Order: sequence, then C-alpha cells, then structure tokens
Amino acid sequence: MRGTFGLLMLMALTGCTAVNVVRAPSMGDMREVFVTTGDVKGPYQSLGVVQTTRRGVLLFGFADPAGTDMEAGMYESLIPEVRRMGGDGIMNVRFQQTQYILPTRILFAVLFFLPLPSEVTLSGEVVKLGPGAAPPSAGTPSR
Amino acid sequence: MRLLVTLALLALTGCTVINTANVPSDRGGKDIFVTAGDIPEAYESLGMVQATRSGVLLFGFIDVVGTDLNAGFKDLLIPQVRQMGGDGAINVRFHQTQYLPATKVIGAILFIFPLPSSVTVTAEVVKLRR
Amino acid sequence: MRLTLLVPLLLCVGCSAVSHGTKLSDRPPEGGRGLYLSTGGAPRPYRTIGFAQVLGYGVTVAGVSDLGDAALDSTIKRSLVDTALRMGGDGIINIEFEDENPPTAVERASDLSESISNAAGGRGGVKTRSRNVVVTGEVIQFLSQP
Repeated sequence: MRGTFGLLMLMALTGCTAVNVVRAPSMGDMREVFVTTGDVKGPYQSLGVVQTTRRGVLLFGFADPAGTDMEAGMYESLIPEVRRMGGDGIMNVRFQQTQYILPTRILFAVLFFLPLPSEVTLSGEVVKLGPGAAPPSAGTPSR
Repeated sequence: MRLLVTLALLALTGCTVINTANVPSDRGGKDIFVTAGDIPEAYESLGMVQATRSGVLLFGFIDVVGTDLNAGFKDLLIPQVRQMGGDGAINVRFHQTQYLPATKVIGAILFIFPLPSSVTVTAEVVKLRR
Repeated sequence: MRLTLLVPLLLCVGCSAVSHGTKLSDRPPEGGRGLYLSTGGAPRPYRTIGFAQVLGYGVTVAGVSDLGDAALDSTIKRSLVDTALRMGGDGIINIEFEDENPPTAVERASDLSESISNAAGGRGGVKTRSRNVVVTGEVIQFLSQP
C-alpha cells in the first residue's frame, strides 16, 4: 500500500512523459551531411540503405556510458557511416530509442545493481545530391 | 543438436515470409485511395486512425478472424476511411505478425496452443480539395 | 575470459552494430530498366497496386557466421522485388526496413567465446542468435513512360 502510494507520489511529482530530442546538423556548414526524415526534392544518386544500432545499459538509472541516446546514435554512429559511404546526406530517416520515465529511472538508481537495458536505432537511405539539387531545409529538431 | 535442428528446419522450410495486400487505387476519385507516402494534391485532414485486429492461427495455418494485411486494409482501414467521410488514407504504416513456416508446422503439431496473430494499420485520413 | 567480455559489455565499448544494404534507385532513375526502389516517393505519377511485408529470418552462429536470409539486401532486392514483380509492379516506394536484433561487436565476441568455452569443456552447444529483418513497401505502377 505504502509502495503504491509512494510510486503514485513519485509519478505525480515527476510526470510520466519521457522526451528525447536531437538537433539535426546545421546546414549553414556545407561540410556537414544533411539528415532528414523526409524525401529529397531534386536529383540524387542512391548509395544504399543503412541502419545503426547502439546497445548498452543505463547505470544507476541515468548514466549512459555507451551512448544509447539519439544524440549519440546520430552523431557517433549514423553520420560517420554516411560520411564513410561518401554521401551528402541521409533521407527518410526513421529512429527509435528506449525511453524510461523518470520514476523508473529513480527506482533503478535505488536498485543500482540492476542496470537498465537501453538501445537506439536510426536508419535511412544514403544519397549523393545531383547537380543543382539543394539539401532539404534543416534545423527542425527531431523528436 | 539444437543448432542442427534449427539449420535443418531452416533448410527445409525457407527463411523468408512474404505477405501482401492488393489494394489497387489511384486518386481519380472513383474509389478510396491508400498510399504509404504523401500526395501532391491539396487535402483536408480528417484525423488519424489506427486499426488493429487480433486473433489466433489454428493449427498454425488457419486464420479464423482474418489477421493478414489484406484484412487490415480491406476490412479495417478502408471501411474506416469511408466511415470518416474521407477520400483516402496517406502515410499508411502497417505491420502483420509473421511466422516462419517452421514455426507454423510446430503450431500445427502442438495444435492445442494456437499461435497469436495480429495486424495493425495506421494512417491519416484525408479529403481531397477538388 | 567471460569476465573480460562482461566488463566492456557493461561499460559498453563497441556496443554498436551497423547493417548495410546496397544502393536503391537514383532519381531520376537511370536507363529505366528494373524496378524503381526508394525509401521515398515516386519520380512520376503512379497508381498503387498494393502493399508488401517481408520477413527475412536467419541465424548468427557462434557470433561469426550469418546464415539464412536476415540481410537487408536479400530481403529488399530479392524477396521484396520478386513479390512486386509477381504483383505486376513497376516499382516499390516508401520502403521501410528494420534489422530487429543486429548483434553488436561485443555480443558477437561474447557468443564466440561462449561457443569456444562450451566446445573446450565438451558441453557442445554452439551459441546461436536469431535474426529478423522486416521490410515493408508500397508496390506501384507508373502512369506514364519516363
């Protein structure tokens, strides 16, 4: 009874929503590759599809030594892969990150000997823009 | 031993499962259209829809209630679009439970345990501005 | 041996996996031969014929050998394309794909180590890991010639 009450209190105090955001690379810097969840208008050459997955654990409910959030997934795995493939950018990106609400994280901070599994996956089609094609407008945060 | 059985089952039954739904449609206005992408025409959004049908596969193969893609599109999504007064559905996403032939054969042998199965279709229902 | 693998696993060094597939269609498509394949839309007007979902299943044996059809290329370019051709399609658009459980470098090393230690201990039991690749797409027919 006290446990349930405690959990409800925790949820009331901390909320039940988990939000993760990652900013797309700035298009002001032309050396950056573009990342878009949409299609590319104009000509392009497809270089192939790619999916990157980062898997690890959250220690103490919060510490993410492996980098399994969208920031790490995009900047440490996806974008280096796009560069390695020789692409100007990646389109039709889909993404999925393990999310835990704050009460769960707090609970596992208390139960610190039990790490929380965590994973982020991003995928898309890598393209090289054709002559005259402009990268899609960026700067919209992905959520 | 387990590895051998797994490999033998895979070799005998194949490793790919394919499901399709035939939903011929264009945006000519005669029938409800369905597309997984966006459309260039102007439209009014009527709302989002998610339709799921769950059931079981008896003897591993018999889909009593219809939980395949065809049912998902023809029995669930399209009637829902009509009900909402829409001309079609855009940005459709779909998923059907898929079992390998080897799993279905096991389901047929262990017939007292039916295989759970479901199909889910999500989309945005729209009305074209003509 | 296991401990040396468990520590990096917990600290998560090398916990990423990358799945690749070869190129799809360019826009505008070159030559006009073969099916048009894209994760995005179509380059010209089309009618939808239907939708397809393909599951490619495979097994990673001892962390080193991938058997079966759980690869992006075989699922998209063989199974999905064959399906679209059978349906009478000219192309597949809005392709979505997911390699549901790609093993990371650490998981592969762990599976290999477990398989070797099982074999050395006379316990047999090579470590296997199931793999699933799910691909969906919209099968289309173009309304005009390129």
